[in-house]
Amino acid sequence: MTTGALIFALNNEKIDYASMARWSARNIERHLGIPTHIVTEQEVEVKDTNSRWFGDFDTAVMWHNQSRVNAYDLSPWDRTLVLDADYVVASDQLKLLLDVDQDFLAHRWAYDVTAKDNFAGYNYFGNHQMPMWWATVMMFRRSIHAQHVFESMTMVQDHWHHYRKLYKFSNHSYRNDYALSIALGIVDGHTLDHAGIPWDLASLTTEHKLTQLGQDEFRVDFLNSEQKPRWTKLKNQDFHAMGKQQLGEIIANNT
Amino acid sequence: MNTDELVAHGRSRFEHAAARRLLKEKYQAKLIFAHAGGMWTAGPELINILTASLECGQQGLVLLDMYETPVMVDYKELLKLAQQRWQEQMTAWLVEYEELNKNR
Repeated sequence: MTTGALIFALNNEKIDYASMARWSARNIERHLGIPTHIVTEQEVEVKDTNSRWFGDFDTAVMWHNQSRVNAYDLSPWDRTLVLDADYVVASDQLKLLLDVDQDFLAHRWAYDVTAKDNFAGYNYFGNHQMPMWWATVMMFRRSIHAQHVFESMTMVQDHWHHYRKLYKFSNHSYRNDYALSIALGIVDGHTLDHAGIPWDLASLTTEHKLTQLGQDEFRVDFLNSEQKPRWTKLKNQDFHAMGKQQLGEIIANNT
Repeated sequence: MNTDELVAHGRSRFEHAAARRLLKEKYQAKLIFAHAGGMWTAGPELINILTASLECGQQGLVLLDMYETPVMVDYKELLKLAQQRWQEQMTAWLVEYEELNKNR
């Protein structure tokens, strides 16, 4: 069975996702020992463009996030790890997903590494407070089930405004996390009973400062509720860096 | 009662608890491992059931994994992996925990 990682890296005017993906591919090779394919503009036709507010840039930036639904067709592997370019692989934790007898896995829960935010606004979506499944890390193996998940995501993407009204969420811009959550509901008969990655997604929001201390060791500086500076350390732990600018600076210093 | 001191103490406890929680999240994830297509958490529950079953002479039987999927496992092999993972990760957890207390 062939195994590899797939990273979507569609640059915009502010964020160099391709460099992030190349850096991540090296980390994946080092920790997981699997090859990575990077999907860029040249290989994927982007149907439409979104813009999204990026807190760390303090501006709205074009957000080319619509090609993720093609992961099933684009992957050359039997078993694929689909990762966001801003997901930092700093341990071999994801290796576990390559040995488990499951067709599709994603994170159900994310948490703030500084514990400042309870992430309720991130872990649920829409007026009905539907549980959100994160498309940041997805593992799938070639199967009818996984194929249906991606086909359903495509259907949700193609009829975004219909699903926006149905699930009552305000985002006009397409979001992979919402599409995945809706797709999993459809595929699993709306049971909300989906197999998930059995640990939570460590996340770093844009207002915190990320610096690198060493290989696989990072420092997160943040302000507590009294606006006093505090910091915490992430060592040999994977995390989702929502602040693309700071991650971009770290990567630039590494290359 | 010095309320400023009390507030500062409470905040400090809150921050320490947050750091402990982050450490717990990290090591709970690291205690998970894959075997025979199933996903398992190394811990007293798994180690005890495997030890007890081996003492009864059972070698290869079916256990429910984290996804509540019945998986046929080699008890000896699974016990070895669980004990190894438990010892490694709990030791690493202790080292980081002590470092955290030192920095407090």
